[in-house]
Amino acid sequence: MEFLIALIPLFPLLAAFFIGIGNLLGKINGEAGESMTSNAAIGAITMSCILALLLLGADLFGKNATTYTLGQWLSSDSLEIQAVFITSGFNTVITALFAILLFIVTRFSVNYMHREAGFHRYFFILSLFSAAMLLLVSAGSAVGTFIGWEIAGLSSYLLIGYAYDRQVPTGNATRVYVTNRIGDAGFVLGIGLSYFYAGTINWLELNAMAEHLTMPTVTVIALCFAVAAFVKSAQLPFSPWLARAMEGPTPSSAIFYGSVMIHAGVFLVIMLQPLFEQAPFIMVLLAIAGFVTAVYSFIVGLTQTDVKSSYSFAISGQLGLIFLECGLGLWELAAWHLCAHAIVRCYQVLTAPALMHNVIGNPIKPVGHMLRNSRWLYIASIQRFWLDPIADRTLARPILGIGQDLDYIDSYVVDRAMGDPILFSRSISTLNQLEQKIMAVEQRDYDHHQFGRGNGIAGKMMEWVGNIFGWFEERLVIQAIGMNIVDLGRRIGQAANTFEELMLKPRYLALFVFIVLLIAATR
Amino acid sequence: MGILSILLFTPAVGICALALISRHKTSQLRSVANVFATIAFFLSCWLIVIYNQEDGALQLAEQFLLNPKLGTSFALGIDGLSLPMVVMATLLTSVALLASLSITASVKSYYISILMLELGMLGVFMAQDWSLYYIFWELTLAPLFLLIGRWGGVRRHMASLNFVLYTMGGSIFMLISLLAISQYMPEHGGTLMSSMSVAAQSMPKNEQILVMIGFLIGFGVKMPIFPLHGWLPLAHVEAPSPISILMSGILLKMGAYGLIRAVVMLPEATQALQVFLVVLALIGMIYGGLLAWRQTDLKAMVAYSSVSHMGVVLLGIATLDEAGMTGAVMQMVAHGLVAGAMFLLVGLLYERTHTRNIMDYSSLVQVMPRFALFMTITFLAAMSLPGSVGFIAELHTYVGGFQQWGNLMVFLGVSIIISSAYAMRTIGMLFTGPVKSHMREIEDLRIPELLASSVLVLGIVLFGLWPSPLIDLSASTMNLMNDIISQRIK
Repeated sequence: MEFLIALIPLFPLLAAFFIGIGNLLGKINGEAGESMTSNAAIGAITMSCILALLLLGADLFGKNATTYTLGQWLSSDSLEIQAVFITSGFNTVITALFAILLFIVTRFSVNYMHREAGFHRYFFILSLFSAAMLLLVSAGSAVGTFIGWEIAGLSSYLLIGYAYDRQVPTGNATRVYVTNRIGDAGFVLGIGLSYFYAGTINWLELNAMAEHLTMPTVTVIALCFAVAAFVKSAQLPFSPWLARAMEGPTPSSAIFYGSVMIHAGVFLVIMLQPLFEQAPFIMVLLAIAGFVTAVYSFIVGLTQTDVKSSYSFAISGQLGLIFLECGLGLWELAAWHLCAHAIVRCYQVLTAPALMHNVIGNPIKPVGHMLRNSRWLYIASIQRFWLDPIADRTLARPILGIGQDLDYIDSYVVDRAMGDPILFSRSISTLNQLEQKIMAVEQRDYDHHQFGRGNGIAGKMMEWVGNIFGWFEERLVIQAIGMNIVDLGRRIGQAANTFEELMLKPRYLALFVFIVLLIAATR
Repeated sequence: MGILSILLFTPAVGICALALISRHKTSQLRSVANVFATIAFFLSCWLIVIYNQEDGALQLAEQFLLNPKLGTSFALGIDGLSLPMVVMATLLTSVALLASLSITASVKSYYISILMLELGMLGVFMAQDWSLYYIFWELTLAPLFLLIGRWGGVRRHMASLNFVLYTMGGSIFMLISLLAISQYMPEHGGTLMSSMSVAAQSMPKNEQILVMIGFLIGFGVKMPIFPLHGWLPLAHVEAPSPISILMSGILLKMGAYGLIRAVVMLPEATQALQVFLVVLALIGMIYGGLLAWRQTDLKAMVAYSSVSHMGVVLLGIATLDEAGMTGAVMQMVAHGLVAGAMFLLVGLLYERTHTRNIMDYSSLVQVMPRFALFMTITFLAAMSLPGSVGFIAELHTYVGGFQQWGNLMVFLGVSIIISSAYAMRTIGMLFTGPVKSHMREIEDLRIPELLASSVLVLGIVLFGLWPSPLIDLSASTMNLMNDIISQRIK
């Protein structure tokens, strides 16, 4: 029975590939292809849903083993990563719940997205997201969960920027993605530290190991995962990304930020309950962050004037409460809260556009007397406690400044020293300039001075040494030795010829004979 | 009559056959020459089959006393050092003949000269008697003099004269050294390599060093070692391209081959000269590389890159250890393939465009994609990219050199960087850039040319990815030589 778990994320993934490749090849296109796309997406998620429910049923009757190992994914020296899934308990419940919610939203999207320009793109990303989310909640090792975690983040980025031709959604998408990367960094660090200290990245083994680890170690590992959870579940100080993320199509907001992805952080904390229980300091941190976020969300939520923004603060507020429950050790309650909140919020956000019809003639109740009079609180609420400007001032701008400085160093110092010719090509921005450059190259055809020239320090060195060697080669090796040997040979030959001619003259011959006789006589 | 004699006399029979054919029957002459070259190639392949890789000593030896009074004999034999060279010689001769289709003037004497050259080269690599070695060594000069002087480029007379003078000058030193050793031979001792190396041990050390210097000059001219390379750029540039293939592919290896034999004969003298050799090798590598970088003439560039690559061979020999020596032999094979392929392709390009100036070329990949593929692989092998046989050779040399001199090997790295500078620049200038009008209608490689170049390029890639057969072929001989050297040095 357990092997079904591997198929659950696989079906939406295949659907995503089917839609993506079909669209790429031009087979699935336009309104005519909508039914094929939607059938693929719904069929896949339906299958996953059925399998997840089957698995849940089997687990409730106690038929499942705890884990199912598909095989070795990576093996390097002592590092061995198994492709392992968890097939019982909390993970199974969440898998089934998320599968159902994903099915509902996919079905809802078919009508909602009808005749949208990005219909196929939307369903491609939604299917990809479904696969990622189901992998996230069913994977038994940190790496599997992280893969789902990352793909979910990427899908979220792609859907916030759904209307990529407009400025605001793309800007928001980037901002959300970058904020999420902070959590990813925490997650990766957590994986690394788990492997380093506990020697395993299997969730269940890590949980089992937790009591044997020293307090500081557990605290650090738990902190890393807590940061990842805070970011993913929009807790302070990372909350502002959630309001920006509401930019995407409504069904996607419902499934990403209403019900499924936003709970990934809480899910991680609840799954790692034994680990967190060993780290009281982090438990306190969870409680504080949850409580502060809940208060913050409540205050800011009061001044929101559009449905989606109000929901976004309501969501982060509720999640704050769940974190508070976790921090206080009420794990059972937190788990129930998670499930209930996912279902309710999914419905709420899906119906958000219709809500406008219902509130007409049904004005919102004014706030209490105390709050009504505190002006500073109002300003802070309207400004969302200046979290975004503070982040800009403290993080974005200094990093941007460093980036600019480094870019300056790179292009004016390093590139010049290394002789990187990219400076020239970078300056081409129009076709006209390109043509001019090509013409210039064509004219410069026989410019011998350009040849054997080097750029940068190493290039100049090569040029100079090359010039010296070239001179040496010309003057000494080829001229002096090569050519002069030939000349010398010729001269010696001429001298020998002259000598020969002289010798053959009678008077010298007579002299020669005379000398020989003289020598013979003296002997 | 053993297989080595049959192999040796195949080109000689070919010469006789060519002599009988009328000089007007061009196609007949070509096919006969090709047939004999191919027979020689298959015979050398058969040698690989019957050669016992486990045994590093001389194999398939044949001996026949030539001159009882002096004791000189016609002794042939192969070991793991000469076998790769024999195969390379026959292979590259076949390739050169395939590339000779553009030669149309006095075809008969051309082919006779090439087969005579093959005879000389095979003799050099198979001879086990120094006097026989010397005879074959000198035998290669005559056909080369004719080949460069008659079918060469504009400055062919100068080039051929220069080449012969240099080599003759060098071989005189070699002869003097051989004579010096023979002083220590017993009466009627002959000139067998094995008995001469025994005799060399009884020489006083200072004489050994002098003899070694003599060998160094004699073989160094051919190899070439740095200051003695003056003949090479001129001869390579002016020679017709099939001859350039043979010269860089095989004739340079004759020098390196002889030097290795001399080093095994006189290890103590080599050890005394070791530092000198290393310095010459490193200078030669960088010198050749930088000059190659400065050449606008494609053929001159390849010629200077030969100087640079043969520096690696000298470096490998100078390490006097097994890894370095293996590297030297590997580099001899690698350079034979790479330089052969480069001269072949450059020659084919020159036939089509009649210019060798790099700056005249542009965007050739659009008109000659097959040529571009082969040329690019060859140039990448010339910068010893991993996956090419050059990498295997330089890695061995590097390892051997590093064990001996450590950080000095940084210069080997510099020379590799320089070689990548000119190789990448040449690839860029030949194949990319704007399309030039006069480079639009160039024919891509034809079938015989494709055959010739693909054999070489396949060899480069195949031995780069799977070098163990090549290493195994000479491993036991290298082992044996290393044992001899290390015994004598200590």
